[in-house]
Amino acid sequence: MKRRTFLKMSCCLGAGLALSGLGLDLGAVKAYAADMKKADALKTAAQSTTICCYCSVGCGLICSVDKASGKIFNIEGDPEHPINEGALCAKGAGLYQVSVANEHRLTKVQYRKPGSDKWEQVSWDFALNRIAELIKKERDKSFITKNEKGEVVNRVQTLSLMGSSNVLSEECWATTQFARGLGYTYIDHQARV
Amino acid sequence: MSDGKSILVDTSRCTGCRGCQVACKQWNGLAAEQTTQRGTYQNPPDFSHQTYKLVRFAEGKREGSREPYWYFFSDMCRHCVNPPCMVASENNEIVQDEETGAVIYTEATKNIDFEMARGSCPYNVPRQNPETKVVSKCTMCFDRIKSGMKPACVLACPTALDFGEREDILKLAEERVAELKKVYPKAKAIDAEDVRVIFIVTDDPKKYHEFAEA
Amino acid sequence: MTNHWIDLQHSDVVLIQGSNAAENHPISFKWVMKALQKGGKLIHVDPRFTRTSSKAHVYAPIRSGTDIAFIGGMIKYIIENKKYFEDYVLNYTNAGFIVGEKYSFKDGLFSGYDPKTRRYDKSTWVLEKDEKGIPKQDKTLKHPRCVLNVMYEHYKRYDLDTVSSITGTPKDKLLEVYELYSSTGVKDKAGTVMYALGQTQSTIGVQKIRSLCILQLLLGNIGICGGGVNALRGEPNVQGSTDHAILYHYLPGYLPVPRSNRQTVEQYMDAATPKTSDPRSANWWGNTPKYVVSLLKSWFGDAAKPENGFGYSWLPKCDVHQNCDVLHMIDDMYKGKIKGYFCIGQNPCGSLPNSNKVRAAMTKLEWMVHVNIFDNESASFWKGPGLDPKKVKTECFLLPATANIEKDGSQATSGRWMQWLHKAIPNPGDCLSTGAIVTMLMHKLQAMYKKDGGAMPDGILNMRMDYLTADGKEFDALKVAKRINGEFERDTTIGDKSYKKGQQVPGFGLLQVDGSTSSGNWLCCGSFTADGQNLMDRRGKEDPTGLGLYPNWSFAWPVNRRIVYNRASVDQNGNPYNPARPLLQWKDGKWVGDVADGPWPPMGQEGGKLPYIMKPDGVASFFGPGPGDGPFPEHYEPLEGPLKQNLLSKQHNSPIITIFKSDMDKIATADPKYPLVLTTYSATEHWCSGGITRWQSWLNEAMPQVYIEISEELAQERGYKNGEWVTIKSARGQLDAVAMVTPRIRPFTIDGKTVHLVGMTFNYGWLYPKNAGDTCNILTTFVGDGNAGTPEYKACMVNIAKKA
Repeated sequence: MKRRTFLKMSCCLGAGLALSGLGLDLGAVKAYAADMKKADALKTAAQSTTICCYCSVGCGLICSVDKASGKIFNIEGDPEHPINEGALCAKGAGLYQVSVANEHRLTKVQYRKPGSDKWEQVSWDFALNRIAELIKKERDKSFITKNEKGEVVNRVQTLSLMGSSNVLSEECWATTQFARGLGYTYIDHQARV
Repeated sequence: MSDGKSILVDTSRCTGCRGCQVACKQWNGLAAEQTTQRGTYQNPPDFSHQTYKLVRFAEGKREGSREPYWYFFSDMCRHCVNPPCMVASENNEIVQDEETGAVIYTEATKNIDFEMARGSCPYNVPRQNPETKVVSKCTMCFDRIKSGMKPACVLACPTALDFGEREDILKLAEERVAELKKVYPKAKAIDAEDVRVIFIVTDDPKKYHEFAEA
Repeated sequence: MTNHWIDLQHSDVVLIQGSNAAENHPISFKWVMKALQKGGKLIHVDPRFTRTSSKAHVYAPIRSGTDIAFIGGMIKYIIENKKYFEDYVLNYTNAGFIVGEKYSFKDGLFSGYDPKTRRYDKSTWVLEKDEKGIPKQDKTLKHPRCVLNVMYEHYKRYDLDTVSSITGTPKDKLLEVYELYSSTGVKDKAGTVMYALGQTQSTIGVQKIRSLCILQLLLGNIGICGGGVNALRGEPNVQGSTDHAILYHYLPGYLPVPRSNRQTVEQYMDAATPKTSDPRSANWWGNTPKYVVSLLKSWFGDAAKPENGFGYSWLPKCDVHQNCDVLHMIDDMYKGKIKGYFCIGQNPCGSLPNSNKVRAAMTKLEWMVHVNIFDNESASFWKGPGLDPKKVKTECFLLPATANIEKDGSQATSGRWMQWLHKAIPNPGDCLSTGAIVTMLMHKLQAMYKKDGGAMPDGILNMRMDYLTADGKEFDALKVAKRINGEFERDTTIGDKSYKKGQQVPGFGLLQVDGSTSSGNWLCCGSFTADGQNLMDRRGKEDPTGLGLYPNWSFAWPVNRRIVYNRASVDQNGNPYNPARPLLQWKDGKWVGDVADGPWPPMGQEGGKLPYIMKPDGVASFFGPGPGDGPFPEHYEPLEGPLKQNLLSKQHNSPIITIFKSDMDKIATADPKYPLVLTTYSATEHWCSGGITRWQSWLNEAMPQVYIEISEELAQERGYKNGEWVTIKSARGQLDAVAMVTPRIRPFTIDGKTVHLVGMTFNYGWLYPKNAGDTCNILTTFVGDGNAGTPEYKACMVNIAKKA
């Protein structure tokens, strides 16, 4: 028998159960009610808007956080956003996997000693103190006050910085400031590539 | 009584971005499958108990020409008006929601004859979890619909998917097909009178997917 | 983008060239499809038939890197057939201006080239001026040296046969595109150009985009609804990061980088400020000094005083021609000249060209600080393929950052909308924002320099970075946003209005040169109101024009203008060229519609100003001395290509590009060992080097492993089967990939011979997932655009073999 015939015949086979709503008390539809839980949870969730972290279309999304556990449990397109009106591509639709729900997210400060074959967990204090120390040491050693022509240039060319168009504008601006304040000239990021 | 809900999938507008495919996984909390690159953009290869929404990619050359075509078929359960798969449901393992018309597989489907459910489906949709034996597929996001939201795939789609009252969607499908026919004589809305998820194609349905049409 | 995403719906013809918008900016297609539903047409010009092409009315295949030839041919077609929009061209461009007598173009080179320095002396690339210093003009366009005629002379060589022979685009397709697109050169039709890295990633990238600008100006398509030259930028905040200059060659707000020949702030401002003698030119950059002083005040606060040049001397100065872009940076790193490296939210070992060189360069570092939300091939370079970690002496830090959903702050879309994000959840684990990390580090350094002194401490000690929240644990984005907007640095009265110290400056028109105002980026001035309202956080959906400008949604720089150069959308009397899409109209003595490009009346009225307010002459330039490689775009071959000889001139490659000469910079042009053109790109389901997306199971599921797209013809010729693994080699390296045999790739006929093109994504890397493969950048060439330094990812030469 062709499958098509099934479609036409099905009315004769009995149409199963027509549910009149959630109130129906039937063991078989337990899963049906369970499926409603996420939709119900949205109603009591703490919701906030964000913007997608991939291309530059600037699609809006809504993050939903369970107030009791503090956990984020849903991220989807913001239907009120005028650019995407709720729509998202594969990457945007999967933004939830950028959250800590993803076991691969980095959450600890890591350090690798010269010649070591592994990362080790360290504290922010250790890392920031050591990085500042390394910057200062190299900067003080290699700082160029004047170029060959005798012009004041106040720069350091043995330090460089890249990034990032993946952080927010205020952070970008602070990064620029950080690098220029130290005298960096090797400053670049994804905008050029 | 309302005629329930419908979804229109206008493949002529689909760009194959797969927002729908991932949005479905996100909303339903479905795990990813371990896949490999087999020489196609289409992945996972097929529906499974973890994949209810799948964009099928079909490519070839236009008749008598070197010009390629690339069709995207955002496949899902059609939520038949009279679902043939219910033949496998003896004790309400498969239910049809009156308000939306959504065809819903409950956990009790672990007790049904899976081959009968799958074999009776003209679109080859139901899939079984090999461990739990539960049979599953798209739920039309009836949970979202009842909360006043669009199905996850429809919300995510930038171009091709529409959702609404069945009569409105049928009317929209008719208008779209009329418009498309001016350029594509083969344009049609597949099995529109029998299904709630109506696909518009501009070419022979078989070129999109073996089970595009009943 | 001159325009914005929603505006794409107003196009009559959409030309996507050098972009795969449907795949890489998928939601743009929401608006492209709307244009098509209204009867608009879509043209896609691309080496591959992609998801974008699948929706196009006309798909034209093109060999990677040859867009100037393609567009040059269209410029010729438009002038020859008088398809240009005459009123616009005459009044709003320099078409009628007279090119100086000494300008010439011969054998592929413009006048003034010095082969020793590989630079042009631009002194002959000038326009004739009258005794008042105003450019001479022949509005009849009869003068043989008027710009339009000189331009036609330049592109006369770009005939259909030559263009087709270079690009590989069949002649009938060229004509079809030329005819369809030039149909927008009338007052009530709009054509938009959507481009992306397909244009920029080339040794002639800047000039490719200039050729698109010329095209759009000829057709009167800039400044109007549904038009524009629209760069689809590839990163979430690359517009913001560019505006704020994480780039060596300028300062925030597109102010030039201080160079050693400008020793004082006065010298710097004088050189940076364009002048005009034409009273009809607004010459907006004439305000440069106000923006410079306000930026210095913003950085150095009270320490920036008139008597110390507002701290200008503390800023680093590059030498006059010094190039510090990413390729020069990595080359110097490879040479061992760079000791310490900060890498934030990026994966250069996967995303930069010639990955083997980049990876080798990293091993020469004494230390590296990497900030990211996931590990990647750059942070963990020391355990990469072929490396013995014991021998890598680099001290490495991997600092965990917060992701966008965990932060407050703004992000700028390609359409210049600065949109505010809201923190959804607390920082996970020990994560900190990048803003907090750089601020905390600066505080540490300030303390160390204060205590112990050191080399030139002033720039560090005076740098105002008081950006931490009250508890000192995070970055206060709101405070920084106010600082970027600009604040009054003392109680100030301007006209009849008084402002208190610390109050936000309402708009850049009020920025001052005397140090009474600060602004971290003049372009963003106005994003915060004087009473502290954050306009970036607006969600108003009003649409008074009905054109989808949404003026109350977020804030668009500059001054909430949604379409820049919008005064070019109206005629001399201020009436819209296209009354059906009235972006702007002069009514009862004021502009109605979008925020006009300046308050002045339209051209035809007294006090009227020319529409191109950022150009000193007030008009757009077909002929211009901006780029370093010529006043007109000229086609040159990619550094590594299939041809021995450029078919248009004796000059094979761009004459001004830096040729890197390390032992790892091998080039194989027209080499039978590498006969296939490789073009590279990204897929929808991954993002860039995959540094974020390869850690996500749903995306890996959809695009799990590295692949190479090849034509059925090549597969048949070589005996490759779809789905089998092959090895791809270039002169620089090799990697394996799955062969994807497809009719979407086709052979080209170039200079009468068959040339095969293959394509790969740079989405993969050795670190994770384990079986996914590596980046195609192992194959690409380490060379950049002569002007912008953007690497030529889009074209190099490779060969394929069955996997051994």
